Amino acid sequence: MPDIDPRGADTKASSPVNFPQRPRLTRMAGAVLAAAALTASTSSFGLPAAASTASPSTSQATVAASDDVLRVATSGYVDSFNPFTSYYSLPTGLFRYMYENLVQYDQEKGEPTEGLAEKWETSEDGKTWTFHLHKDLKWSDDEPLTSKDPAWTYTQMMKSAEMGAANGNLVENFDKVETPDDQTLVIKLKTPQAANPGIEIPVVPEHIWSKQKDPSKWANDKATVGSGPYQIESYQANQHITLKANPNFWRGAPKINGIEYVYYTNPDASVQALRASEVDLVAGLTPNQFKSLQGVEGVATNPGKGKRFTSLALNPGYANAKNEAFGTGNAALKDVEVRQAIRLGIDIDSLRKQVLQDQASKATSFIPDAWSDWHVPDDQPGLVSFNPDEAKKKLDEAGWKAGKDGIREKDGKKLELRFDIDSTDPDQQTMSDYLGPWMKDIGIKLDVKSSDSDTLSTRTAKGDYDVVVSGWGTSPDPDYQLSINTCASRPNADGTGPTTQDGWCNPEFDKLYKQQHAELDKGKRQELVRKAQMIHYNDAPSITLWYAKNLEGYRSDRFEDFGLQPSDGGSITNQSGYWGFFEAKPVSGAKSGGGVPTGVWVGGGIVVLLIIGGVVFAVLRRKSADDRA
Amino acid sequence: MTALETQVDSAAEAPAGRLGGGFLPYLAGKVGGALISLGMVILLGFFAFRLLPGDPVAKIARERPMSADQIAQLRHEYGLDKPFLAQFWDYIVNVFTGNFGTSYVYKMPVSDLIAQYFWPTILLTGTSAVLAIVLGLWLGQKSAWARGSWFDKIASGSSLVLWSVPTFWLALLLLMLFGGILHWFPTGGMVTANLAPWSGAWLISIVAHLVLPVITLTAVVYAQYLMVMRASLLEEMSADYLTTARAKGLTEDEVRTKHAVPNALLPTVTIVFMHIGGLIAGAVTVEAVFSWPGLGKLTFEAIHGPDLPLLQGTFVVFSAIIIVMNLIADLVYRQLDPRIRRA
Repeated sequence: MPDIDPRGADTKASSPVNFPQRPRLTRMAGAVLAAAALTASTSSFGLPAAASTASPSTSQATVAASDDVLRVATSGYVDSFNPFTSYYSLPTGLFRYMYENLVQYDQEKGEPTEGLAEKWETSEDGKTWTFHLHKDLKWSDDEPLTSKDPAWTYTQMMKSAEMGAANGNLVENFDKVETPDDQTLVIKLKTPQAANPGIEIPVVPEHIWSKQKDPSKWANDKATVGSGPYQIESYQANQHITLKANPNFWRGAPKINGIEYVYYTNPDASVQALRASEVDLVAGLTPNQFKSLQGVEGVATNPGKGKRFTSLALNPGYANAKNEAFGTGNAALKDVEVRQAIRLGIDIDSLRKQVLQDQASKATSFIPDAWSDWHVPDDQPGLVSFNPDEAKKKLDEAGWKAGKDGIREKDGKKLELRFDIDSTDPDQQTMSDYLGPWMKDIGIKLDVKSSDSDTLSTRTAKGDYDVVVSGWGTSPDPDYQLSINTCASRPNADGTGPTTQDGWCNPEFDKLYKQQHAELDKGKRQELVRKAQMIHYNDAPSITLWYAKNLEGYRSDRFEDFGLQPSDGGSITNQSGYWGFFEAKPVSGAKSGGGVPTGVWVGGGIVVLLIIGGVVFAVLRRKSADDRA
Repeated sequence: MTALETQVDSAAEAPAGRLGGGFLPYLAGKVGGALISLGMVILLGFFAFRLLPGDPVAKIARERPMSADQIAQLRHEYGLDKPFLAQFWDYIVNVFTGNFGTSYVYKMPVSDLIAQYFWPTILLTGTSAVLAIVLGLWLGQKSAWARGSWFDKIASGSSLVLWSVPTFWLALLLLMLFGGILHWFPTGGMVTANLAPWSGAWLISIVAHLVLPVITLTAVVYAQYLMVMRASLLEEMSADYLTTARAKGLTEDEVRTKHAVPNALLPTVTIVFMHIGGLIAGAVTVEAVFSWPGLGKLTFEAIHGPDLPLLQGTFVVFSAIIIVMNLIADLVYRQLDPRIRRA
């Protein structure tokens, strides 16, 4: 806001202006009014143009604001609804509802289960996967769905970089896709893989997409045709996305007729909207917002197990794939003993309770407890707990002796580490308040510096840090998260190239990664995956602090029976699947979610008009009744 | 109009006609200055946002599994694999062809996006501007005339309190009270989804959604109009011509509205135009809190991308609006104040 100087109000200065001025007043008032009228009229002329460019033909809308439309608050980006090219999480999440995959993640714990395919076999060598589709599958436009559709989808992604923009990594290992008949699809892989190749890839209808001139440029944002439980009916950027139930969904029509995503830029505003029953579901709440909704009449809360881990990354010394070192990491952190001592010196239980008000699960390694098959369980041998004495002993043994000020030294160098925190994340400030004293206690000095998240992530990618807070969202299959911990995934010195989790490299881990990648026996793979995580745990290039809950609130007076994934304490939104809304149903005899009564709207409008009219009148009136001077 | 006023009117117009010869050079100077400012803004629009930390591609790659090939493809699609100078050339071409490039997020020309989000912002800021100007000027002249009175103290005091309040805080407070607790007004957005455009329900819905953001924006800005109006009217109040006017037997009210206020309006006009530009920029916070789908929200979200073409486009448009408003203020002021015309 620009500055004004109220003191200027009393400055006395004579201003020799000719008089009288009445004509000027008339002109002035006229100008102000004309400007106002112009503004008002142009804006009302402009509005339909703005609305109509993005809005579809509303006359055909069948999903209206009615009792069984679930309204979900969102602030998500939408680049397009094109599953080949869209990168953002909101559309990616919606594709799970719009396009059934060949194989789906199950609700219980994210294991592969039936999708378009009823069953599948894998050849002995793990390179040939044969999928048998359900009989009589239909797209939402009643056209038959055959094995030609997934074959067309996959082939497009394999053939062109544009069509593989979003999910090309999932077909990288595909050699050939064949369709012996309408019910059967055969995927031949280049190398054996354990992760089901039919999972995660949205399958689109060939009869619609092959007609597009350039399918990679198609926005696909109205009246979509798909095979999942919901299809997009209309979309208006930054205002709403309206979905309609697909009665042809092979598991049966969903019980809620429509879903409407409503845009809320400000999370606090969306919490208020839930209270006012203007939306039915909000997710991703902070612990304080979540607490404020507890006990509100007609609202239920769900602290769902999250897919994301938060960790403290300790720079283990960056190098590129050719082992050429780069980055500014403190040399002390290259010593595994120092990193292990830091882990022993952090009380992750207190930290989780203090920073997140305990709205998080206890962490072990980097695969969260939501994926219980791959997560390292609490009783795994080799896990350590908070033990400052043990930490001090480790540092003593490593040759770090306490100096006069209590800070340890070795070869004349103090054990001083930079801790860069993100100024936009208040949690990190709180974390530093706890970590500082804990580290000081074991003889390590943390220099806390705060900067913005963009600077931080640019620096982190170049290995330009000692200690930072990090974190990733994970998938039900552990392969990708493991892969970004291998030596081959280390970046170039300028931060480009492959993606790395912690800039860490351990050939032993790589061996286990490769083994699990091709291990088709689930029990054996589980063992390998956990073993690999324990190597990372022991090397401690990062310390996993917690798995934050996905905090959700919904109108329990309007909807119930949301499907959680994992079914034991999971969340409704941000699933790897469509269980959340597909299983939900309206509460019978629920009150309508109209939110603000129309009468109040009309009243409000009239009040505003009265204020405008009154003020204009007051300014224009020539004769004033109150003539006090 | 009385005969006297008509006579004076034509007398006031006459000198303007004689001295109006300097108008073209004046206009050329002002327009030239505005064009230079605009050129600087266009240059700054490119370099300032390139200097910002944050890699839009890295940001996306962090949120989803992507291979190095996919990352390279995305970099290519955004044109970020080109040399710096080539990117600058693309930007200049895009600015002068008027489309400002293609938004990373929305995958459509930035000019189309701005055109789409422009009108909701104009509706919001236009309504607020009219309300704030009218309210500010009216309260300002009343306060000055009754200087030191209870009315003055309450009007000036409360306007300054509202001026000092952080915009987002006031916005959230109104939202919680009238949206969350009382349910009088909607908590966000511009219109309820899926209503037929131009239907009665659609119009009512827009008005209802407009109330809280307009009140917020008006409340935090009307003080500047009030204070300027009050200050310039106070200056006029000691002027001799008011004594003359009173001596002619005019009522106190006529002295104020017909003689003092018109003179006091002069500096106010400049402020009005200069602040209309600022008001549009100031709508960013209000739009972000009330999820109003306008330019402010578009900019707010573009920063998070960072959606460089969109940021550049909104930056240039916001700056252009302010430059044009200042230019209009200069020109209008000259027309209104004969002293500048003579200078």
